[in-house]
Amino acid sequence: MRPLIRAVVLGLVGYVAGAWLTVAVRGGSPSDDVAVVFGFILGLIGWLMGIGVWNAWAREWFGLPAKPDQATGWKRYFTFNTDHKVIGIQYLVTFIAILLLGGAMALVMRMELARPGQDFLTLDAYNKLMSMHGILMVATAVAGVLGAFGNYLVPLMIGARDMAFPRVNALSFWLIPPVAIGLLSAPLLGSFDTGWTAYPPLSVVNQGGQVLFILAVTTFGLSSILGGLNIVTTVATMRAPGMTWGRLPIFVWGAFCASILSLLVTQFFAASLILILLDRVAGTTFFGAAAGGDPLLYQHMFWFYSHPAVYIMVLPAFGVMLEIITHLARKPLFAYKAVVAGFWGIVGLSTIVWAHHMFTSGMAEQLHAPFMALTEAISIPTGLVFLGALGTLWQGKLQSKTPLWLAFGWLFNFAIGGITGIYLADVATDIHLQDTYFVVAHFHYTIVGGTIFALIAGSYFWFPKITGRMYNERLGKIFAVWLTVGFNLVFIPLFWLGVNGLNRRVADYPEFYAGPNAFASVAAYILGAGFLLYAGNLLWSARRGPAAGPNPWNARTLEWQLPSPPPEHNFPLLPEVVGHPYDYGVPGSVHAAQEAAEGGEE
Amino acid sequence: MNERGGYKQDAIRVGLLWLGLVVVLEAVWFATEILPRQYAEEAKIIDDAFNLLTILGIPVFSFVVAMLIYSAFRFRSRNDASEDGPPIKTSKPVVVTWLVVTSALALAILINPGLVGLAELRANPEADLVLEVEGQRWQWVVTYPNGAEVRDELVLPVDTRIRFDVTSVDVLHSFWVPGFRTKIDAVPGLVTSVYVTPTELGTFTDDVNLRLQCAELCGIGHARMVMPVRVVEKAEFESWMAEQLTAEAPAAEGRG
Repeated sequence: MRPLIRAVVLGLVGYVAGAWLTVAVRGGSPSDDVAVVFGFILGLIGWLMGIGVWNAWAREWFGLPAKPDQATGWKRYFTFNTDHKVIGIQYLVTFIAILLLGGAMALVMRMELARPGQDFLTLDAYNKLMSMHGILMVATAVAGVLGAFGNYLVPLMIGARDMAFPRVNALSFWLIPPVAIGLLSAPLLGSFDTGWTAYPPLSVVNQGGQVLFILAVTTFGLSSILGGLNIVTTVATMRAPGMTWGRLPIFVWGAFCASILSLLVTQFFAASLILILLDRVAGTTFFGAAAGGDPLLYQHMFWFYSHPAVYIMVLPAFGVMLEIITHLARKPLFAYKAVVAGFWGIVGLSTIVWAHHMFTSGMAEQLHAPFMALTEAISIPTGLVFLGALGTLWQGKLQSKTPLWLAFGWLFNFAIGGITGIYLADVATDIHLQDTYFVVAHFHYTIVGGTIFALIAGSYFWFPKITGRMYNERLGKIFAVWLTVGFNLVFIPLFWLGVNGLNRRVADYPEFYAGPNAFASVAAYILGAGFLLYAGNLLWSARRGPAAGPNPWNARTLEWQLPSPPPEHNFPLLPEVVGHPYDYGVPGSVHAAQEAAEGGEE
Repeated sequence: MNERGGYKQDAIRVGLLWLGLVVVLEAVWFATEILPRQYAEEAKIIDDAFNLLTILGIPVFSFVVAMLIYSAFRFRSRNDASEDGPPIKTSKPVVVTWLVVTSALALAILINPGLVGLAELRANPEADLVLEVEGQRWQWVVTYPNGAEVRDELVLPVDTRIRFDVTSVDVLHSFWVPGFRTKIDAVPGLVTSVYVTPTELGTFTDDVNLRLQCAELCGIGHARMVMPVRVVEKAEFESWMAEQLTAEAPAAEGRG
């Protein structure tokens, strides 16, 4: 725990020093925007140096020998550990915790919304809580699946001993806690009330908590870029002999494609936020109309990242779900090449569809038709993912296990998410539905129904690999049904509300909308309570569950050919890949040669 | 050969299940009134688009659901021995058919309701009445052609093509009347326009969707940045508008 204490102390010292220096130079108050900026930057550096960047890394820059932390056991998780499996677990636990926190916030919001009128949250407090919920959940969706399973599984699945840049990997993770601390301490400075989208001019003129939002989210972007760089490099250069691109497990493809997107577009979000910061602290007027700035410029830059971001969230989730479906249907992944082509189609198209978020923004009208066409075209590559999933289930030998149950829920949800997306791509219907509860319902179907379901399903499927123990199957299935039904009961009524004229991001609404809101609130409490079952099952099973053995699913990919949990550096001898990972039912087929003696009885 | 026959039987059964679901869901859609009441020509165009997308979306959704239901019951492995399924890696005809069907669907909805709806909404750039709307935290200010500035109720004449020229003095707002379905953001430094042709009389007190609601998050008062809307006969509108100029001193009777 010492590095963590050191990091907290140095972080605080850095923050105070930065804020104090700013006040010393320019006067004013330590809660001024400028002081917060320099405080955060020095605090971030102090935090990173304290947690181990200095010892494990920066010492080398000054000709000193590096002293990486030697902690073992559970203490590893609180140090600057470079083992990709440790980092994957750090991501998984961190983001499940943030998911539960963001979910708790949603329950408080649903309590306020349970009936019309203002109950216990002020309008202002509601806006701020909603904004916090939004950004925490977006972060969870962006980095949860990719950070947790991307780090844990990619090296294992491609037959590598670690990531290409292990220290960069540790840095990616340790940038996350300052993001969480920055966001969660924003209420000290009046918080931020602009949603997670932070549209100016509101985000230029609101309270100082917005500055912490900007600094935290920019830091988060840096983490995403470094993480993406690492996964792209690892997949490109560290595949085991024989692990050709055509034999990559589908999750690796999902993580690779998402990482390419992450590398390409994340900086646009950071840049747009930094322009807001400059408008606030440096007197620029990028978004100030009175001085010739353009509020719409922000929206273009923001969505240039934030639409691809939903595919950064969902491509690794596609990968997780197709892995689960293939292994538990015990059939080759149907139309593997078409699915990979679909992934690439999504990568390409996702960067040129952003302005469908802006049909009512007042942007130039000639942009409407092309962006409608491009957005609707993305349904074609996404359709190939459905083809892969449904085609694999067809004629399979479906193993009735929790992850597969969740995969069914996922396909159901994502079908609704995808089809309702068309209403928002179509200009005519979007004019009515934009900024309503229809949008809220739609993106929860894609992001929760798509990505968070994958995070949860993956946390069951790889639980035996990560912990060496098996979760309770019966409780897992109860939760799978609970989650799927509960989620649908919460969000189906919201479609009706949006179509019938309820706008989003409001603490109060006319009496007319009371019924479905009350229903959704009660359903939300039920859904929320279900997570006790989830957390309870996994926490208990991690300590007391029966030993799982190396390969409880009898699956073919490389991670299942290692002990559970896998040893440090994974492979004593690098495997030689000789066949496709998903050749279930193909007589005599083998994925990796080294394991043929042990797992080749089929 | 036996196995192939089995596949064919499965395909027929799942096809029947799909058809059944489509019939049921389409029937439910046609039997229920999900969309709110239309108060403008634009609402009809937008609702037609909504209807068409739903009618086309139901078969797609039903296909996924039919496959899931059928697979869950028919392909569930009865023993836990981890026997493998048949090694079907791909099927060129299936992939090609899938691509053709999904592409055709995407193209179809792009044309109608997509481009057709867009063209209908933009068909007529003329306006019989132009109202200036200014969003400010947290109220709407509407200026009528005679110079009257109104803040407490938006009164509109029926069967008149109205253009709203919308702007903002502070942060982003959005001009939205759910009963009309139309929406446009109010942007500082920019005048954006939206056309509405009211076709039905009505007031906010009778229908909650006759309200000018701010739809873009604008701070504390966003939720309650609402202006009641009333659609009246043309003659009534003219006299009402004239009253607004003289009514500046005491509260006018005709504002109810």
